[in-house]
Amino acid sequence: MKLLFLSHVQNAQQSLKSNRMRSVLTILGMAIGVASITAILALSSGASKIVSDQVEALGGNIAVVRPGAPSETPFEDIAQFPTKQYYTASTLTNYDLETIQALPGVEAAAPLMILTGGVSGESNAPLNTPIVATTPEFATISDLEVRDGQFLDPSLSINTAVIGAQLSVNIFGTEQSIGKIVTIKGEPFTIIGILKRTNSPINYNGVNFDAAVIVNRETSGKLNQDTLQIQQINIRSTSVETLDDVIVYTNKQLLKNHFDEQDFTVLSGDQIAQPTSQLFLAIAGTTAAVAAISLIVGGIGIMNIMLVSVAERTREIGIRKALGATNGNIVWQFIIESLALSIGGGISGYLVGYLAAFAISTFLPFDPLISWQTAALALGLSITIGTLFGLYPAIRAARKDPIDALRQYD
Amino acid sequence: MAQSSHPPVIVLNDLKKRFGIGNAEHYAIDGIDITIQKGEFIAIMGPSGCGKTTLLNILGLLDSGIEGDYELDGRHVATLSSRKQAHIRSQQIGFIFQSFNLISRLTVIENVALPLTYKGSSRLSRIKQASAMLQNFHLGEREYYMPHQLSGGQTQRVAIARALVNQPSIILADEPTGNLDSRTSHIIMEELSDLHKQGNTIIMVTHNPRLTTYASRVITMLDGKIDTDTGAKPAKKKRSPKRPLGKKQKGRKKKGAKS
Repeated sequence: MKLLFLSHVQNAQQSLKSNRMRSVLTILGMAIGVASITAILALSSGASKIVSDQVEALGGNIAVVRPGAPSETPFEDIAQFPTKQYYTASTLTNYDLETIQALPGVEAAAPLMILTGGVSGESNAPLNTPIVATTPEFATISDLEVRDGQFLDPSLSINTAVIGAQLSVNIFGTEQSIGKIVTIKGEPFTIIGILKRTNSPINYNGVNFDAAVIVNRETSGKLNQDTLQIQQINIRSTSVETLDDVIVYTNKQLLKNHFDEQDFTVLSGDQIAQPTSQLFLAIAGTTAAVAAISLIVGGIGIMNIMLVSVAERTREIGIRKALGATNGNIVWQFIIESLALSIGGGISGYLVGYLAAFAISTFLPFDPLISWQTAALALGLSITIGTLFGLYPAIRAARKDPIDALRQYD
Repeated sequence: MAQSSHPPVIVLNDLKKRFGIGNAEHYAIDGIDITIQKGEFIAIMGPSGCGKTTLLNILGLLDSGIEGDYELDGRHVATLSSRKQAHIRSQQIGFIFQSFNLISRLTVIENVALPLTYKGSSRLSRIKQASAMLQNFHLGEREYYMPHQLSGGQTQRVAIARALVNQPSIILADEPTGNLDSRTSHIIMEELSDLHKQGNTIIMVTHNPRLTTYASRVITMLDGKIDTDTGAKPAKKKRSPKRPLGKKQKGRKKKGAKS
């Protein structure tokens, strides 16, 4: 049986070679479908990997507390992702922050308040420039590095700010803006530090720090109509081992603070990245589904060519049957031929897809991810398509009556 | 192949094959009884449309849907699955066609090796056997030619080599010289005759009365029935007539005695 399989493969090779142009065009049709799916998946998994990579890079001892109850299904997060942080009144309070800071095993905890408003220096900053209000610990917890100057410091005046390198260029025309005054919602702040470029607009804090300005938490009241909104509390435990305990304590204490109302979520590790990565996956899924249509078109192309090939080779089928081929042999012969087309298309599509993904990624802030899942999916899809669309022509070939088949073109 | 010559290879009992339905219905084969022993060289003669080729196709298990009984090597063909029938075609039957029926895409040696594919031999052993078979037919130098590069006689010899490569017990030839000139026909018939001398069973359909001289038994068909049969006894060497028509009476007697 194995030998027969080999001879079918050789046979497919020969017959595809003898119709080179036709085979190449069919493979191309298949390759386009696989290439688009591969490119989409490579880029989207690359994008969602950024966030989880950042969480990993922080060392596995980070947990975050977000307002809102934990969702039952992970996909709820996708729908609520922007809403939760920006439009709902936060349930996290200053008191919660202090509670967490006092917990055993907690090295540091920092609040994250994101405001928006007019920011201007020598020229106006783009609208929606994020204004982040936090405490000095935030820099160590979130691994923000200062390129020039220093981060927020309680010993300095509270009207000090640290700004992202890109924002500095935008409003002052230079990255050297220490000592200059930035006006945030009408309040003047002195710039004491410039952040090192992070080049990661997508991260678990939901802020692009390259284009943000960071101010002291105490000033946020002034900037936000005297209401304090903590959108996220970042916690760093003393070690990776203590993180689990910290999460348990945090949950317990906050529940007490909130009178047993579960209106907050403590997340760690991959969970932090989950909403973001799932958002990307959902987008990728939808686009991939659209791309799958082109795959079906490719499959129909294969079916079409196989039907032509069967019709052309009716006589050959008759001869083969007369020489002892069973119906099964004939089915396999043609299935393997269509599989050769689809797998050929799959492999070349996979390669082209990655080339395209890398080409596109030069315009994007992330790199495509090479994973075995994408490769397996490309291969699996092409095998499925090849079998599915090759089956009908193959069965048709096998059903041919040998006598009629031999009589053709006589 | 290695069977004793006692049981007949083929037994046909009131074989019928019907074409068409309703008013258009007619019997291409209309009640044939033949017993063929191992080692016979049978020539089937008859005018066009008398059912010779249909009979040959039935004998070669290409045509199903028959009425009556066909026993091949003691097995009732009607009871065999299509898979089993394909297996028998592969192991026991070699076909030679009028139009050669080589696959034009494949080289000569690949064409000859083709039946071995369905027997499950490895590629190397296929090529070896095919090569040896082509040597027998003095086509050793043409192994890697394409079929269209050969002359008619060479093509038919390749086709015969292909029919023999499986060492079948029965060779079915449908007008093997129909597309060849008389000199080439002679060469081909000599080849078949040699095969017959080596103990192969050959059943040949032909139009050409001259070719019957090579046969050990001549069956004439008319309108789906057997008209004459020169004898049911196997391998009576060179008993075949110069003029087949003169044998008619004798054949009829034999047949009458049998039934």
